[in-house]
Amino acid sequence: MTYTSSIGIRVNGEVVEREVEDRLTLADFLRNELRLTGTHLGCEQGSCGACTVLVDGSAIRSCLTFASQLNGAEVTTVEGLASEEDLHPLQSAFLRNDALQCGFCTPGFLLTAAEILSETNDLDEGTIREAISGNICRCTGYQGIIDAIVEVARSGSER
Amino acid sequence: MRTLDYIAPESAADAIALLAEHGESARPLAGGTDLIVDLKHSPGNIHILVDVSGLEEFRGIEETDEGLRIGSMATYAEIMENPICLEKTPEVVAASHTVGAVQTRNLGTIGGNLVTCVPSADSAPALMVLDAEVTVAGTNGNRRMPIEEFFVGPRKTILQPHELLVDIWIPKKNLGKPSSFYKFGLRKGQALALVNVAAALELKSGKIVEPRIALGAVAPTPIRILKAETFLSGKKPTKKNIQEAARIAVTESKPIDDFRASASYRCQLIQTLTQRVLTRSLEIATAS
Repeated sequence: MTYTSSIGIRVNGEVVEREVEDRLTLADFLRNELRLTGTHLGCEQGSCGACTVLVDGSAIRSCLTFASQLNGAEVTTVEGLASEEDLHPLQSAFLRNDALQCGFCTPGFLLTAAEILSETNDLDEGTIREAISGNICRCTGYQGIIDAIVEVARSGSER
Repeated sequence: MRTLDYIAPESAADAIALLAEHGESARPLAGGTDLIVDLKHSPGNIHILVDVSGLEEFRGIEETDEGLRIGSMATYAEIMENPICLEKTPEVVAASHTVGAVQTRNLGTIGGNLVTCVPSADSAPALMVLDAEVTVAGTNGNRRMPIEEFFVGPRKTILQPHELLVDIWIPKKNLGKPSSFYKFGLRKGQALALVNVAAALELKSGKIVEPRIALGAVAPTPIRILKAETFLSGKKPTKKNIQEAARIAVTESKPIDDFRASASYRCQLIQTLTQRVLTRSLEIATAS
């Protein structure tokens, strides 16, 4: 038996080739091996959404995925949203709408929102509430988050 | 987490051979949304993960002369977007919408949901009322069975350690059959079902034909309510008959008391929601 796998993935556009332990979750790989600590770990059992990242454009929970499973995949974390100069439109909208307080859940919300906005800008509040039901915020509440996502959807600045 | 050996076999045959070789210490990995939680908390004897999620034989959704084939490794997200499912099995799509949250549905597979075999599995009732069958592959080849036979008990299916769920078949005659699914959880988002229920039926010359009722989270496995189906068959679609069928569904169920709800509350849900899905199915049958 071998307890490691060689993987080649793209993380925020950069090629990463590593030998990883098979028991290593994507979340731990991102945080501990790549030092991308913007991906947060809350419940570690697939309920809170703090560890949400995009894999090939789909929002998934990085605490419930092994790095070994992702050979050939494209991963986007919160560090990959902003450019050198500008925040991502969602990040700016979160700021304007007071959509964060402690910020622990924010990376997960941003990536979940990024997936839904990549599919359509035709989003009403109900659709957004349903879409973010896998992300939990324990301090500021959801209204600012919803307002921020609605704002970006309306402006059509994402896509 | 303990050390694990992750293996991504090239074919279903390779996967079966690996599982046969390693027995209880190996486990097939699909979307991982249940299994990886288990591995963190109670890994038991599992040391080897055989990733079947990418295997061609288990993927895809297509319509054939026989009916609709849903590969066991189709994710909920794939089912929800699939044009054939949207048109011909809208209640399987509706049930898929209620599973977990978007992150779960992007990875979680319909086959994984059935193999995990919790009594509240949301896809089960919607498939059962369409007389779905499942194909199982193992070292002795493939076998096909009605989906009801697949479920043995809580978290226990008919699968031997070397066997894998290949696909789910919905017979052609039931594609587009008037049907309705309803899930009741404590929240709208990301909640396990207190009760989930599906119905399907046809109306011919003002009488109910081939009625089907299936319930989840009310017994050790998802169950068909055969007595209520027999009662409704050939009957007129009156409110009284619908109420009686729902009453039979309550007496045929064995819900438990737990921290989510009492058994008596679940019985009230069974009565109300069974009536609701039967009524909705009748509305669809009348309109078509």
